[in-house]
Amino acid sequence: MNIVVLLKNAVDEAELRADPSGHPILKGAATKMSNFDKNGVEEAVRQKEEHGGTITVLTLGGADSKKAIREAMAMGGTKGVHILAEPEAAPDSLGTAYYLAKAIKRIGEVDLVVCSEGASDTYQGQVGAMLAELLDMPFLAYAKKVEVVGGKIRCEQGFERGVRVLETKLPAVVSVLSETNVPRYPTLLQVMVASKKAIEDVQLSALKESDYPETGFEVVALTIQPVNRKRLILEGQPEEAAKKLLMALKQEGVL
Amino acid sequence: MKLFGPEHERVLLSLYGDAASEFDDLLRSFSAVLEAKVLPLSLGLDQGKGDIAETRRVLFDQGLSKLSYPERYGGLALPFGVYALAMELAGAADASTAMSIGIHNTVADAIAQFGSEEQRRRLLPSLLSGEKLAAFALTEPSSGSDARSMSTRAAKDGKYFVLDGSKMFITNAGEADVYLVFASTPGGHSAFLVEGSNSGLKVGSPLREKLGMRGSHTAEVRLERCHVAAEDSLLGEEGAGFEGAKKLLDSSRVIMGMICVGIARTAYLKALAYSRSRELFGKKLSDFQLTREKLADGVIEMNASRLLCMHAARLKERGLTFASEAAQAKVLATEMSARTCDAAIQLLGGYGYTTDDVHRHWRDARLLAIGEGASEVLRLLIASRELEPKT
Repeated sequence: MNIVVLLKNAVDEAELRADPSGHPILKGAATKMSNFDKNGVEEAVRQKEEHGGTITVLTLGGADSKKAIREAMAMGGTKGVHILAEPEAAPDSLGTAYYLAKAIKRIGEVDLVVCSEGASDTYQGQVGAMLAELLDMPFLAYAKKVEVVGGKIRCEQGFERGVRVLETKLPAVVSVLSETNVPRYPTLLQVMVASKKAIEDVQLSALKESDYPETGFEVVALTIQPVNRKRLILEGQPEEAAKKLLMALKQEGVL
Repeated sequence: MKLFGPEHERVLLSLYGDAASEFDDLLRSFSAVLEAKVLPLSLGLDQGKGDIAETRRVLFDQGLSKLSYPERYGGLALPFGVYALAMELAGAADASTAMSIGIHNTVADAIAQFGSEEQRRRLLPSLLSGEKLAAFALTEPSSGSDARSMSTRAAKDGKYFVLDGSKMFITNAGEADVYLVFASTPGGHSAFLVEGSNSGLKVGSPLREKLGMRGSHTAEVRLERCHVAAEDSLLGEEGAGFEGAKKLLDSSRVIMGMICVGIARTAYLKALAYSRSRELFGKKLSDFQLTREKLADGVIEMNASRLLCMHAARLKERGLTFASEAAQAKVLATEMSARTCDAAIQLLGGYGYTTDDVHRHWRDARLLAIGEGASEVLRLLIASRELEPKT
């Protein structure tokens, strides 16, 4: 089975700082593989371990995306494809889906495209569905369980009061959740081996054709929602501290 | 807490040039595992609520013991300096686990350097994978820094040596499958590999009142008419054990120094975070000049210690002598670590003094200015090298 797994080298939200006006400082911000995409890579690796085949790790992003590709390859990816797009030239969600679709078509026969529920920085969750449309493949969203049997894919979607089971023929695009699996940590040997695997660089211009979709979609503002943490230290014996905690929670309106 | 930081990237870049990015990937990945699977268990280990075998297994599975050994024995053949940086990260995640593995690796190093091909093939793969655990038994109840005065004896009896004596403060005692035991033989001091299952090897009660490194197992090891087959057990030449031990300790001192850098960095990051959030007199603690002096001194000393350790590591990689540099690195790093942890306690004030999760770092660091060569003895070694006639 030939699998393509999508990932984003996202801004590391734990390291993100805001300027005095509340806008995130994206220039030079630390990045890492989107946490949710680790679940996507894990699912791809599990399917490959069960059914054989290859995993192409595909991303669109700046030069520092290479480290996320390497990480995914250490987890079990076969090869990497990097569509080079520095942040200032990065397309919107539909544009991203367009370039990814073009790149997937160049790869050749693909049975399954795996992505995650959304990126851990912007969490728009749009690319998977758009990509499926552009590839003319069915899209199975938010799968909490994935099975591939006899050329078909079966997914379970969880709801508050039940489970919906979807099934379709391959090829298909599937998005997984953080609860779908537990991503593995590669060993140092796997990291070393991955560092020697090939990553193909592709320019945006090599993929862009006359059918490029212009959405007119523009992000006009991006601000960080401030979370004011209260450092409250409750002193005294446990019984006394528990009473103080109860009172504090009531004062905050939590209870 | 991010264990692998920009300072590590910069050290790798300055020392390894083009190869640095590969080592970056390696250590960043290793750091992520430490943050997820070791760091959260570290406080529990200090408080006696965990099992070091669990955290050690994580590091063995990662391949920490394989880093700098040849591929033919299951190693990864990476530079010693990369292993040293990995041990700093391990020390930052949990000092007890890092020390336990550091000592285990010293025994693996002994077999790689001085063992016969048969001993290497028999023992190295299982030690490098962590399937077997090793302990290093040199110190005795009455001889530490003056190891030459050891009273443990090994007498030849046909095809066997019979070991009698006692070894003290032995890390991994009771857990180890293999003990590297030093003993006096007619031709000088010799090194022996003794199986943990040998009926002549007895492990005393665990030393539970340790100041720090409470996650690791420490005990006395007694050798009572302990028979070992000469061919299998004698490591290197008879009588060459003490010279071998000195070479092993040179490398080990670099590693213990790096563990101390890691301990210091963890305590430092806790103090840094606290100083940013704590307010007094209407200002942040980090706004006070005396706080900033501590924060600046901590970074200066940690970087200096790391660099001196890495300098010794690079000399070793190139096959040059590095005994004095290793001793300098260990003295600087271990004493720096205690100072930096002490400064962290000071910045956290009452919380620093009353919270295990802060003062344990000072307690952990304190050991390493004593073990593997006390600072005083290492200063004698360093000074004697300086006093040697220069050619």
